[in-house]
Amino acid sequence: MAEIALRKVAKTYFSATPVRALESVDLDIAEGEFVALLGPSGCGKSTLLNILAGFEGSSEGSALIDGGAIGRPGPDRGVVFQEAALFPWLTVWENVVFGPKMQGLPKSEYEGRARELLATVGLKDFAQSYPAQLSGGMRQRVGIARVLVMQPRALLMDEPFGALDAQTRMAMQELLLTVWEKLNTTVVFVTHDIDEAILLADRVFVMTARPARIGREIAITLPRPRSIDDLTSPEFTRYKAEIMAEMRSAHHQAETA
Amino acid sequence: MTDTSVKEAGSRPAGMAAPGSRALGSALPRILMNSGLAQILIALVLPVAIVTIWQLAGTNGSLFGGVLPTPDRVVSAWWTWAFGAKGMGLNPYSGTWLANVIFSTERVAEGFLVAILVGVPAGIWIGWSRLGAQILDPTVQMLRPIPITAWLPFSLAVFGISGFSAIFLIALGAFYPIVINTTQGARHVERNLVRAALMMGAGRLDILRRVVLPAALPAIFTGLRIGLGIGWTAVIVSEMIAVKSGLGYVLWDAYYVGRMDVVIADMVSIGVMGLLSDQLILLAERWALSWRLAGAR
Ligand SMILES: Nc1ncnc2c1ncn2[C@@H]1O[C@H](COP(=O)(O)OP(=O)(O)OP(=O)(O)O)[C@@H](O)[C@H]1O
Ligand SMILES: [Mg+2]
Repeated sequence: MAEIALRKVAKTYFSATPVRALESVDLDIAEGEFVALLGPSGCGKSTLLNILAGFEGSSEGSALIDGGAIGRPGPDRGVVFQEAALFPWLTVWENVVFGPKMQGLPKSEYEGRARELLATVGLKDFAQSYPAQLSGGMRQRVGIARVLVMQPRALLMDEPFGALDAQTRMAMQELLLTVWEKLNTTVVFVTHDIDEAILLADRVFVMTARPARIGREIAITLPRPRSIDDLTSPEFTRYKAEIMAEMRSAHHQAETA
Repeated sequence: MTDTSVKEAGSRPAGMAAPGSRALGSALPRILMNSGLAQILIALVLPVAIVTIWQLAGTNGSLFGGVLPTPDRVVSAWWTWAFGAKGMGLNPYSGTWLANVIFSTERVAEGFLVAILVGVPAGIWIGWSRLGAQILDPTVQMLRPIPITAWLPFSLAVFGISGFSAIFLIALGAFYPIVINTTQGARHVERNLVRAALMMGAGRLDILRRVVLPAALPAIFTGLRIGLGIGWTAVIVSEMIAVKSGLGYVLWDAYYVGRMDVVIADMVSIGVMGLLSDQLILLAERWALSWRLAGAR
């Protein structure tokens, strides 16, 4: 459980033509909160997550976790990548226990938990398979299991279900909700799927087109535990309409700016 | 060939016995073409044809006015070389084939091992670290255009007429493809894999050992195969000049005394050893990269 704060964070990539990816982003995320970042492709969502993970530094402003500057990447901030990023030369099991092993934990401390997690994500029978033998959705579940096994204080998820079909996607969303309600870690969840954002998050931040700012924040007060059935409730539809209007105006601003 | 076709037909379930004569007619040759035995037979057609023509073109056991011996002479020369009694004054090669094969193979193995032990870590360092690239790469690139044959006198001067001279040249020759391919492999490690490892608490050495090295492995094996080929070239060249034993030494010596039958038997021996050692690497590659094939199974 971690508290995250971004203060006037900006990021410029100095490539051939400099790209301003983030502009003065302010963001406060409470301990144990589930936050969704919603924004158009290429606006800077991954950039923001990379800064939180410690993969990249910010050009301006400060990024804090529990009051201290965010340092190098580490097991306290578990990252779920868009394309799973499993080690293809390791079996599912070896991928899942990679983190605890790197941290030098004794086997007794993590093997039980790893087994349990594999069962939770429905991959008990695939422990000895290689990633090449799995479907995209299965790989993504391994990517989630290997992060949860480290019991991170924050979960940073970059469009983790973006490549999945609707059915698998819903199953994964429910799984994530179940796990999160049990662990109560802080979650920053990047997506460009409005339904997904509303279903999962306590608050949804709508980001503007590049350079990304936090356009607006929408608190989702749907009661928990939530399930896929909420997708068709009237409140849900209201939130959706609100967010769509917000995104349209953000897009419009970007067009005219 | 007939054997396989009978078996294939026999194993067909009764209900499927006759799926129409036309279909059967086109399926049968395909089954024959794909069976392992058939592939070996097809592969043998050209060599057998060449050897046959070569044999038939000769008169009194030689071609081109005695320069080139016919295959039967080569085989009999090899037989004496391999199984003849040792120490017969007139034929210094008699009974020395295995010993010479072992001499050369050992040198290749030793030089190749040195090349791996130096080339792989160096390549990983160049490919992974900017500092490594700045320190090592220019020197490697500057030395690389010097062919190993040009190193022969240097090697002779430093190591003298000895096996070390050959091992040095083999190691040097095999080093370049190994280091260059390893560099390529280490340079193109997927960024997110490294980030994932960092995120899970891996240290610098863990990243090199558990991420960069395995990610570079396919490229490394490409380098090993090329390097081994150069290793065999190097051993022959250096044994011709700098060492008094091994297949390269016999090759040159036999040429000098006009024993072309031994020369050709020696060439074939080199080819066979090169092929076998390459197969060994392929085997190791299949084992080490089994995770890649897993998906295709
Ligand atoms: N390493 C980099 N070097 C240069 N420019 C970059 C780099 N990474 C990202 N950018 C640029 O920054 C901008 C934001 O990229 P980012 O990956 O954060 O977008 P995103 O919101 O995650 O998009 P998507 O939803 O498509 O994943 C893009 O214009 C991209 O071209
Ligand atoms: Mg992205």
